Amino acid sequence: MKLRSLLIAVQVLFVLLASLSAPVAAAEEKLPFGIRNYDIGLAPNFELEDIDGELFDLKSTRGQWVFLHFWASWCGPCREEMPTIQALSESIDEDKLHFVLVNTAEDEDTIFMFLGSVAANLTSMMDQDGLVTEIWKPRGLPTTFLIDPDGRVRYQAIGGREWNHETYIQFISSLISN
Amino acid sequence: MFLNALLFSAATVAASPKFPLVVNHELMSIEFAPRKPEQMGSFYEARGFPREMREVLKQQCFITVKIHNNSQKKIWLDLANWQFSVNGKPLKREHRDVWKQHWQAMNVPLRFQSTFRWTLIPETLDYLPGEEEGGNLVLPFTKEKITLDAKFATGENRDGKPIHIHFEQLYCAEDAL
Repeated sequence: MKLRSLLIAVQVLFVLLASLSAPVAAAEEKLPFGIRNYDIGLAPNFELEDIDGELFDLKSTRGQWVFLHFWASWCGPCREEMPTIQALSESIDEDKLHFVLVNTAEDEDTIFMFLGSVAANLTSMMDQDGLVTEIWKPRGLPTTFLIDPDGRVRYQAIGGREWNHETYIQFISSLISN
Repeated sequence: MFLNALLFSAATVAASPKFPLVVNHELMSIEFAPRKPEQMGSFYEARGFPREMREVLKQQCFITVKIHNNSQKKIWLDLANWQFSVNGKPLKREHRDVWKQHWQAMNVPLRFQSTFRWTLIPETLDYLPGEEEGGNLVLPFTKEKITLDAKFATGENRDGKPIHIHFEQLYCAEDAL
């Protein structure tokens, strides 16, 4: 009798586990090309100035999804990708998704000229000594992290992506609508 | 006119197999583009790198590497599994941490250390199906042909059949005389 109860309990547990993991697996299958699950826990905080001298604190974005993007003007894919980030930012509710661009180790003139030529509506933080980039350890430039409203890093995209493509817009829209 | 066109097309055909160098495998491809010291020097000078740093870099062999995962499974890059040799003798590639120590010893400003680091190919990277990424390899300069033996793990948990690449035609580019 005890054995039978144990077997039933194991079966129930198995069904429960299966039902819990199914949505996760489904979500993984739906990840657009180039986006990977990247659950490393709480996002390392940082404070940086933007090109207008405004101090930004990553913690201040709690409650919103964050599109955290590391870039540099010398990186070819960054040049191609930046206009698509601007287009994405224009198609997403800015109250639900906060765009945080972090330039790696360049001066404000370089950043200003670059953004002015490829994505004039975007602004960027300046990581002039590269230390914030070092803490975040993107494995290449450009790299984007998606941080959830609780401040947890959830996804990573290495390399340039066509962010204004319908696939990515739908993916991000579904994230922020949940 | 015709001769010029012929010469041009012949040169194009002759040059195309050599640059970039391409290694094809059924699951992946690797492109190698050897960079001339002058080219790299100009790149880093344009980024404001100090002369002392550029002088060190000009002595190195830069090869831009682009890896493309053509398969439906993960492919794992780990540069620790890349062995370089010249005439059968090992050619040691310095880890990015060694470069960092070198720049620190030279008191190179952090921003230049950072930019240098991000031009390097990652030490490790998991390539998703269809993904293409790369960066620069930095090797000691040599005029000889370089042999590369590289091993890649495959599969979600690195438990798939490993990929072995053996390539004997790698080289360092030199400036024109």
